[in-house]
Order: sequence, then structure tokens, then C-alpha cells
Amino acid sequence: MSETPLLAITALTLRVAAVATLLLLPVALLLGFALARRSFRGKALVQALVALPMVLPPVAVGLAILLAVSALDWPIAFTWWGAVAAAVAVCFPLLVRGCEQAFAEVDPRYEQVARSLGLGPARSFLRVSLPLARRGVLYGALLAFTRALGEFGATAIVAGIIPGRTETLALGIWSRVQLGDYRAALALCIASFALALVAMLAAEGWLRRGRA
Amino acid sequence: MRTLGILPLAWLALLQGARAEEVVASVAASLRAPSTEIVRRFEAEHPGAKLLLAFGASNELASQIEAGAPVEVFLAADEESVARLASKGLLLEGSVVPFAGNRLVVVRPDAAELRLAEPRDLVQPALRRLALPGWGVPLGHYAREWLARRGILADLADRIVVTANAPATLAAVELGQADAAIVYATDARVAKRARVAFDIPDAEQPRIRYLGALTHRAGPGARAFLDFVRGPGAAILEAAGFRAAP
Repeated sequence: MSETPLLAITALTLRVAAVATLLLLPVALLLGFALARRSFRGKALVQALVALPMVLPPVAVGLAILLAVSALDWPIAFTWWGAVAAAVAVCFPLLVRGCEQAFAEVDPRYEQVARSLGLGPARSFLRVSLPLARRGVLYGALLAFTRALGEFGATAIVAGIIPGRTETLALGIWSRVQLGDYRAALALCIASFALALVAMLAAEGWLRRGRA
Repeated sequence: MRTLGILPLAWLALLQGARAEEVVASVAASLRAPSTEIVRRFEAEHPGAKLLLAFGASNELASQIEAGAPVEVFLAADEESVARLASKGLLLEGSVVPFAGNRLVVVRPDAAELRLAEPRDLVQPALRRLALPGWGVPLGHYAREWLARRGILADLADRIVVTANAPATLAAVELGQADAAIVYATDARVAKRARVAFDIPDAEQPRIRYLGALTHRAGPGARAFLDFVRGPGAAILEAAGFRAAP
């Protein structure tokens, strides 16, 4: 049918945000850890570059991705993977900075003790640093996930707005407003609201459990 | 960590990717109302086929196709958008077919008290906002051409509220954001809180010609759909107020 069901649009939105967050997590963990523990020349530049996608207009980020994937001949433009790519880029800073802060709050002496007891760097990271930073990492991941749920500017450029394929909630709201169909747009707004509320409640719940 | 429980959920969602024979069609926004019925009938007659329709202003849809959107069928409200794609070699040669025509009318909000019965009423100072899409959008082009021919485009220039496409132009009037608009007769028919102020005489009507075309991605489903639009679809379009292609 020409009008994609609300449930399908919501499912796609969730899928894009979840996949983007999962793809980002390992990279963000390593980069965040490095930024929290190491000092090196050009660190300020790396930190600035990491933050860039958050400061730039999402539309500009989207255009950069579109041009990059075209140049690399990656067939992801106008597919839902394009929406994932847009979400990955836009949410990257949130998760990296979240992880960096989470690791910065872990006292390095725990890691030093672990290393002195014979744990290698990978094991010390997995068994000491990561569990201690867990709450901050989770919070960063949730922040990235919720940001991805609402991503619009970059997604519209990279994925286009193809109903049933790349039309997420934010894109669907926009295309319905564009067509003057405010009622249908409002229905999607309500779905977005419900999704955001559930995500934030889950975040609060997880945080409280992490603290206990 | 318990949070890893969301992993299987995410990958499960990934797996639902595979689908039936889908055809993506870019469709002029003014065709939105009859499209629902055309697609319903087409899918009933072609089990397994599934249409995904992206609506928008024809010029914008053409730009998306140029940018590489995976579109198989293009139903445009003008000839320019199609010609632009054809000149760039993006359409299947010989696939371009006219399938409908339309008319322009002037609409106003139901509640308004403005006297609006003939073209010169449009320039009265009490009419502060006229909704129209930009020049590039077919409706915006047709309407401005008519206003220019009537010699009132310059008077109205700074009162035009620029909308995105045909249905959005009607919506601007229905929501009271504009005192009047020039819209397609077919959109005016489905208006709920706006009505036709006056009709534009035949002699002054622009030539509005809807064209269908296939891109190089078009498969058998896309061909069948375009054939359907021209064949059985004609009756559905007629019932929605569309004219035969001029």
C-alpha cells in the first residue's frame, strides 16, 4: 500500500537506531578509552574532530557521507543502511565522549593493580576498566540511541525518504508536513513521543539499577 | 551484562529485511488521492507485487532520481521534469507516456469574508497572502504563468507564501495560513475547509500534462504498473476529477 503502517515506520526507526548504536559501541569504547588514558600530540585535534559531527549541521554531515559513499562506490545511499550510516556519524561524538568521560572517572590505579597482578592490557580493559565504567558507557549508548531515533538532516540526504524502505519517524513526519497532511504527521509525532518516553524511562531505570 | 539482551532483538529486526517484489514509484503529490485506489486495484490484480510510493513535487522527485534514488516508475505533473531526466539519459527510451490532464482553480478558506469572484479580486489589499509553490514546482509554474498572463503576478509577488507542493498549497488555505491559493481542480475537490472561489476559463488554462516514465531500473512489475495507470487507472483518475491528457 502507498501509506506505510505506523508500526512498520516505528520498527524501522528502532532498527536503524539499534544497529547504529551497536556498530558504534566497540569503536567508541576503544577510542574513548584511549582519549581518557593516553596523552599524545594532537590529542586536542582528535577530540575536536570527534566532536565535529555534533557541531556541524546534520545536513552537511549527510552530504559528506553521500559524497563519500558515492566516491567509494558503496551501494548504501537510499537504503536503510544509509540511514544507519547517517546515525552512526551524528551519534559518534555522543558515544565517544560518553565513553571517554566514563573511563576518565575510573581510577587508573585499579588498572595498574590489575596489570601488576599479571593481566594483559586487553583483559585488564575487559575485566576492570569496562565493568567500572559501565554506567557511563551505558548512558552514552542510550544517549546515542535516542539521538539516532530522531535523526533527520543527515538521514534525509543519505537515505532519501522512500516509504517502506528508508522512511523513519522523523522523515515520515517531514514528508507528511510537506504534503500538508498534518493529521498523519501528528500520528507519527505521537509515536515518536511514545518511543522517546519509553527510551528515556528505560535509561533512567538502567541507571538506577547500575547505581545499586 | 544484562544490557546485551538487546543484541538478539536488534539482529532479529535486521532479518526481516527480505521482502516481496517491490516497485518504488515517485509520484507527483497531486496524484496522492487517486493513487491509493490505483495501487489497491493493481496489487489485487497482481498478487505478490507491492508498490512503494514516494510523493513530492515533480521537480524534486526528478532531482532525487538524478541523485540515484532507486526509483523504477516516475509519474510527473509536468513535462519539464521528465524532459530533464530524459536529456540526462536516465529514462528508458520510448517509455514516456501522457496519462492525465488537470485544471487550475482559485480556492479560499471556507470561513473568509473576502470577495473573491474574479482574477482582479486577487490584487485587493485585503488579500494579504496567496499560497503558491515555487517556480520549479509544476503547480507553481502553471499558476505563475497564468498570473503573469493576466498581468497581476508583479502585484502579488510580495504576497506569495511559498509552499512545497500542490497538496501543501491547499493545506495552507485550509489552515488559514493564506487568504487564497491557486490549486489543481482535483485537489480542490477533496478540500475540507476550503472551497473554490472561482474557476479559470478554459481559454486561459495552462496546458497541464501528466507524464509517466520508466527508469533503467524498471523491472516487469514497474512496466505492469505504468501500463495499469494508463489502462484501468484512467477510470480511477477520471473519477477523481482528472482530465484526459491534452
